[in-house]
Amino acid sequence: MNTTPRALNRLLLAVVGLLALSVGAAGLALVALPRAAAWWAASAPRVGEAIDDVRSGTTLEGQSDSWLWIVLAAVLLLIIVLLILWIATQGRGRTGLFAGADGRGHGTFRRAAPRDAARGDGDTAGTVTITAAAAEQVLKAALLERSDLASASVSTWLVGGVPGLRVRVLPRKGVPPYVIAEEVSRLIEALDLVTGYRSPVLISITTGARVRFTRGERVD
Amino acid sequence: MSADPSDRSSPAVTARIVRRELHSSRAVPSVMTAIVLVVAHLVLLFEAVLRAVGDRPFLVDLEATAAWIGALPAGVPPTLLGTGALLLVVLGVLLLLLAVLPGRRARYTIPNPRAAVVVDAEVVASSLARRARVAAGVAPEQVLVTVGRSSVTVQIRPTSGVPVDADAVRAAVADDLRRSSVEPAPRISVVVAESGVIGQ
Repeated sequence: MNTTPRALNRLLLAVVGLLALSVGAAGLALVALPRAAAWWAASAPRVGEAIDDVRSGTTLEGQSDSWLWIVLAAVLLLIIVLLILWIATQGRGRTGLFAGADGRGHGTFRRAAPRDAARGDGDTAGTVTITAAAAEQVLKAALLERSDLASASVSTWLVGGVPGLRVRVLPRKGVPPYVIAEEVSRLIEALDLVTGYRSPVLISITTGARVRFTRGERVD
Repeated sequence: MSADPSDRSSPAVTARIVRRELHSSRAVPSVMTAIVLVVAHLVLLFEAVLRAVGDRPFLVDLEATAAWIGALPAGVPPTLLGTGALLLVVLGVLLLLLAVLPGRRARYTIPNPRAAVVVDAEVVASSLARRARVAAGVAPEQVLVTVGRSSVTVQIRPTSGVPVDADAVRAAVADDLRRSSVEPAPRISVVVAESGVIGQ
């Protein structure tokens, strides 16, 4: 439910993969094909000369070396920053606000009227915010009462700009998942009534070490 | 306003959540690739700064490296160069496959009018194993259920002298699958072992 940039991940993995593949293939060609080795032996000095020309062309009076080193350092720094940003965008999207006034479409509580009209019709001024913790704890308390669940956790994530709930339940061994899905979605509908919002919900029925090492439900 | 602002969910949003949950996000290989690239670029950055201020190289002498690359394949044993190049090719192919393959997870979705529901295959298997065990009248240790993407295999070791009704087991498993209506409906095969076990 997070906002991990999946398309970007795949694109960048493909680019890095293609680079590694082409460098590796060139290395293999140098080893295996005498013609490739001969071609490289002929063209490498020309590449070196070209680089030397650029370096001497960009060396200022009285300096020992080219100022291109500074440019190279800046470019490398930029790439490093972009790579760190790439890492930082993974798994983001958790939010602490389930519903509240943030100036957007879902701002005012249970009210479809535009803001200027709302001001005119004698409404009490003020806003209601529901923190994510409130919705999460209500749902979690209801889930933990059930004996067929070994564990449950609820978190709130931004889905397409609106807060949505991620309900992770770990049923005991042998509990049919469709029963869990039905009853959790009934709890969600009760929560809809209480909060007044019909949010996106993900019910993730998974398993873990805690389920594997405990007994299944005894009642068949 | 066309819709009630308190209604923030829609079938399209639910379908998107399900699709994302059923496929890998490739976050782990992305972070690993990025860390390796950051380290490599930091070394290069350090050397470039040392050159810019006119200092001696620290770890990698960039000019010597460039000369070494220009002199390839001389200067390195061919087996070493070949192995290194082959490793790079394998790494590149792995990354390309990670980028291109769909990366389906071992999960199923259960249609639900309100929420997006995804179930681990292991949970489905454990539910099926219980139904199969009750239908066959054996102990939990005598049933093994394997759930694949398009097939379900139920393996039963009967108790010695007590025959197992494979058709009843198949019907029970099919009923459980139909109730959870996992998509796509898997093929069911029930295997009853030739030899039984004693004392269960």
